[in-house]
Amino acid sequence: MLSQLDKEILLNKDFQQLVKVRRRVSWSFLIFLLGLYVAFGVLSVYYPAVLARPVFTGGIVPFGVLMGYAILASAFIITLIYVRISNNYFVPLERKIIASIKAGGQS
Amino acid sequence: MNMTAISMFFLFVGITLVITVWASKRTKTRSDFYAAGNSIGGLQNGLAIAGDFMSAATFLGVTALVYSTGMDAILFIIGGTLGWAVILLLVAERLRNLGKYTFSDVVAFRLERKPVRTMSAIGSLAVAIPYLLAQMVGAGALIQILFGLPYEVAVVMVGVLMTLYVMFGGMLATTWIQTIKAVLLLIAGTIIGLGVMSMMSYDFGALITAAVSEHPKGAAIMAPGVMFTDIITVISIALAFVFGTAGLPHVLMRFFTVPDALQARRSVAYAIGFIGYFQSLIFIIGLGAIVYVTNNPEFLAADGGLIGGSNMSAVHLSKVIGGDLFLGFVSAVAFATILAVVSGLTLSAAAAVSHDLYANVICDGDADRDTELKISRITTLVIGLLTMGLAILLEGENVAVLALIALAIAASVNFPVMFLSMYWSRFTTRGALAGGYAGLATALILVLLGPTVWVTLFGFDKPIFPYRYPTLFAMIANLGCAYWFSITDKSQRAIAEAESYDAQWIQSEIGPI
Repeated sequence: MLSQLDKEILLNKDFQQLVKVRRRVSWSFLIFLLGLYVAFGVLSVYYPAVLARPVFTGGIVPFGVLMGYAILASAFIITLIYVRISNNYFVPLERKIIASIKAGGQS
Repeated sequence: MNMTAISMFFLFVGITLVITVWASKRTKTRSDFYAAGNSIGGLQNGLAIAGDFMSAATFLGVTALVYSTGMDAILFIIGGTLGWAVILLLVAERLRNLGKYTFSDVVAFRLERKPVRTMSAIGSLAVAIPYLLAQMVGAGALIQILFGLPYEVAVVMVGVLMTLYVMFGGMLATTWIQTIKAVLLLIAGTIIGLGVMSMMSYDFGALITAAVSEHPKGAAIMAPGVMFTDIITVISIALAFVFGTAGLPHVLMRFFTVPDALQARRSVAYAIGFIGYFQSLIFIIGLGAIVYVTNNPEFLAADGGLIGGSNMSAVHLSKVIGGDLFLGFVSAVAFATILAVVSGLTLSAAAAVSHDLYANVICDGDADRDTELKISRITTLVIGLLTMGLAILLEGENVAVLALIALAIAASVNFPVMFLSMYWSRFTTRGALAGGYAGLATALILVLLGPTVWVTLFGFDKPIFPYRYPTLFAMIANLGCAYWFSITDKSQRAIAEAESYDAQWIQSEIGPI
């Protein structure tokens, strides 16, 4: 079923590396962000007092508001990190794989 | 009648019509019509995505939610942004690497084309049409209040404009309209947010204190639980946002307008920046509305409620901040927002019919270019007329249920099928069909038996299904059926499909070579 080209790509060390690292990076980022969201949901149903409590004793801003903004900020920061990793690591690796496959060489 | 609003609105319509004429001259091929010839750059696509997603529901609806429930709205604010993280980390690049014009291209990559495309086209239409109706009914009501036009006139105006944009300008015109609208909406949101903060001397704590003292529920708005108290509802809302966003056909279609996976990734990154920024403004705008609108006699109707309902809180607030001139600007932006979103939805529904059903199912992937384009334009016209007619019939109905059905179906039909086809090698045609239809049926039946339809619309005392949001159960139904019917599928076809996974996987990782 697999073409010769595809077989070569599967054996390519750079391809294996790319797939492994990218999978690890994107799933850990995703689990981290969704974990924060789940935490917010669980707190709002079972421990509403935690979210209602002010961040600083005697302060005004409740913890829930701070947590909400913190989650938005982490989504943004993670996006920046992911794009950086992609540009500096994944994209060059992809180009290298394609070049070496096109050249017909095994690496 | 607000003259500023009307003149700004006509200026916007004039510009968009010029764009449509310009785009129609450049729209010759299928790729031009569905995907703007893959010519859009990352930044502009990011803005257009933000323009597609930041609908009137976000701007007016979530502000209204902050206005009436306070902290509970944060669940929506975070969800609307995190859905984009799912798209960035799991979907965007693979979608661009595997597909051409619609997300069905990806599902049908190695599965059997006809049945799978039929199912995902039904999924697309089942999301696009209720969502379109929700926007149009909302638009009619909004324009009635803002411009003093009769409801029917407003609906027909929206319908005619969106049909013109899509029919003649295709994706290119739609993209530009969404881009301009996103910029306008970001400017309007920034001015309102800054206006609120400056009236509070840039003290966030003072804003919260003032909101608590003005709101009828007092300190309860700074704690969760005004609206959502059970875990099933919270989970279903979270799932609908996080996975429903990644299943909206008009949003997914935007990823085919860029040249490659790199630009697709860049567009989501920009989109997350814009959307996250806007979502964080929404909370401030909502609190500002509590402070300056709740007890302001200027905005209260005879019965003590807000003129135009709580959805108008952001619009009323804009009058407090910038007087009639700014109110006019914000009204025009709200109208532009609706126009841009309905155009994207119409285009995705037209593509589901002409590209998925006509070209690939009826013509077996061998459709004549001009005929296919003609079909998509006729479909656009039919959808335009159909939604105008239905929207006029639905005047005054609660549109929340329509938007709810749309997002629930996106999360429980489109997303799981697309996700499994990308990531699970043993996913088969039988599994995709069983999962997709099970998700669709569960979502529809549970909405029908739930409080929104069974009690509010049909007038029964008690709902048969107690939860408002069906997403959790419908997603489980989809994933469960998809899993079971895939692993028990021992047919020749299933074996061939599993064997062709590697080739698809390689292309999804590094693109077509």
